Amino acid sequence: MTGFAAYLVFFLIVALTYSIVVMGLNIQWGYTGLFNAGVVGFFAIGAYGTAILVGPDRAHLIGGFGLPFPLAVLGGMALCALAALIVGLATLRLREEYLAIATFGIAISIQLVALNFESLTGGAQGLVGLPRPLFGLFDSPAGYNLFYLGVVAVMAGLVYWALETAVRSPWGRLLKAVREDETAARSLGRNPARVRLEVFVLGCVLMGLAGGLYVGFIGYVSPLDFLPILTFQIWAMLIVGGSGNNRGAIVGAVGVWALWAMSGLAISRFLPVAYQSQGGAIQVILIGLLIVLTLIFRPRGLIGEAESVSKHAD
Amino acid sequence: MKSMIASGLMGAGLVLSGAASAQAQDCKIAVGSVLSITGSMAAIGSAIGDAGKLAIDHFNEAGGVNGCEVNFILRDDQGSPNVGVDAAKTLVEIEKVPVLLGAIQSGVSLPILTSVTVPAKVTQISCCSSAPSFTELAREGGTQGYWFRTLPTDRPQAAVLATIAAEKGYKKIAVIHVNSDYGVSLATRFRDDAEKLGIEVTGVTPYNQEQASYRAEVNAALQAEPDALFLVAFPADGATVAREWISFGGSQNLILSNALRADEFVESVGAQYLENAYGIDNAQVEGESVEAFNTSWKDAKGSDPNGPGLHVMYDAAAVALLAMEQAGEADGTAIRDNIRKVTGGEGEPIYPGAEGFKKAKTLIAEGKPIRYVGATGPITFDENGDVTGPYLIYGVKDGELATLDRWDKARVEAALEKLQ
Repeated sequence: MTGFAAYLVFFLIVALTYSIVVMGLNIQWGYTGLFNAGVVGFFAIGAYGTAILVGPDRAHLIGGFGLPFPLAVLGGMALCALAALIVGLATLRLREEYLAIATFGIAISIQLVALNFESLTGGAQGLVGLPRPLFGLFDSPAGYNLFYLGVVAVMAGLVYWALETAVRSPWGRLLKAVREDETAARSLGRNPARVRLEVFVLGCVLMGLAGGLYVGFIGYVSPLDFLPILTFQIWAMLIVGGSGNNRGAIVGAVGVWALWAMSGLAISRFLPVAYQSQGGAIQVILIGLLIVLTLIFRPRGLIGEAESVSKHAD
Repeated sequence: MKSMIASGLMGAGLVLSGAASAQAQDCKIAVGSVLSITGSMAAIGSAIGDAGKLAIDHFNEAGGVNGCEVNFILRDDQGSPNVGVDAAKTLVEIEKVPVLLGAIQSGVSLPILTSVTVPAKVTQISCCSSAPSFTELAREGGTQGYWFRTLPTDRPQAAVLATIAAEKGYKKIAVIHVNSDYGVSLATRFRDDAEKLGIEVTGVTPYNQEQASYRAEVNAALQAEPDALFLVAFPADGATVAREWISFGGSQNLILSNALRADEFVESVGAQYLENAYGIDNAQVEGESVEAFNTSWKDAKGSDPNGPGLHVMYDAAAVALLAMEQAGEADGTAIRDNIRKVTGGEGEPIYPGAEGFKKAKTLIAEGKPIRYVGATGPITFDENGDVTGPYLIYGVKDGELATLDRWDKARVEAALEKLQ
């Protein structure tokens, strides 16, 4: 398997990893209305947590526990849960735009900690030589990628199934109630603060899971992976796909990442060689333009939120 | 809507695979490159791409590789690893490149190496990634020999700069560095070396890129009243730091990292403030090979090749193509195994430019050994894919960048030995 098929497998691994992040953001923003602008921070905690637990022992580093990959990912997720709990307790009383600013700042801080806490994260050098799970069992990189796509697809499917089950439960209706009218929810004897915290932690843990899967695939992690642009990309995926809809989250992740990645391929194909050094700028403009056009023609995203009306209403 | 997207993607796939088979019939060899054309390295990225393209143009002028025309495909990584990795993967899988030139930042080159080029057995040659982690990875066997870089690592650079600082009699030096793998590693090595030579390093202050002002960092570094500043930066941010440093009364004894050897930096700081400054860069040792590159750059671009990464990028491309010619096939593993056959050694020297490559092709056809002496002078790769090379010391004279001194390999090694 080579050529476009091999690339497509590779592409889908990354896109589906992002789809898990987008679903995490969707439960926060799409269902509950929590404006988390620090997505990349929790993605980073999951990635670093996994990398530190799975990595080989090195003299100059604190970490390097050499744990099996699934345990390391679980550890990364646990770390994410803890971080989200602390951040959530501190910030969730803030309303939308204030919460956005606070979480954005926290994500930058997390990236700066990764950049500067050299003995734990390797600093700007990053953590190298991380083992890729079961890599030795496969003869060809294509075979391995196919296997890893399976892993990521199963994880994304599980997350989708779990979230769909959750949002259809009474707890899921509570999320929308909190989003639409917190006072009304409180008047019915619910505790919105607690719901917001639960959802925040849940969403961030999913981002951490994706971070762990990313590390397993790339085998390397550095602070450059966690620039604020990634938060923007994730948000673009959710908005374009359709927030408040988990299928929209997946479609958005795949679609926007396709646009981001494949526009470069298209430009390198169709642009005369002499203009190649301008191709990068054209690509960025094209990405922006297509996102704007999508939103003009599909303001609720490609697949918007399904209307939910009480079965008793006529 | 979803099915529309799916069919659109499949359509694109058909078009792409059609284009790939058409190319093979014309006998074209694709050489891929991933560089930062936009993003934080944009100021230097596209010129570096031009340097790579120049080498490929020269080779095509000389008749191509193994009779095939070489097609240079440049992709942008936007300064992000995720975009860079994806671009590299398309180059390897769809364009079928046997060799990948890039990336600029180590944080982009490394994930490409571990997740794309090494698994696909494609040789990767970087012009500009200086992080020591590549050497570490190569020692552990993680690169399987597919990794090369044409710029020397920062170990000798720090040693030479510290030795000169000691010769100049600086007693207290402050360090301000860009907080990246490149900056951290060069700054800490310089501190270690300077301290061994009896110089007090008053502080090592990192700065984060692309800020409007670095007053806080500059003030922190000024506190201890150092008599010189070692600045590790890229041109745009570096100019901001240097301007603020001088306007707050900092010493004009500046020590500059290699990336600051750019006209842009001198112009925006002001040449009159840089007369006491010196910096290091990979030497274009005097001689025909360097002149050959400089002249052909001037012919093509109409300006002098002043800027980080140009000479090293040309050499990265040239080494790849010569190895391909020597191997007789465009295959990643064959390129890896032939790179050391066309560099170092005792063969006939080959200089940059179409004439040089023509000569190389004739000699290779006759089965005679060649030795590429590139835009950065002679090149020898060690077992980890690193080069050690000669250096030049640059400064500003009469308002322009000028070469003040040259350090050949023997002198560099003597300085390194003293610091062991």
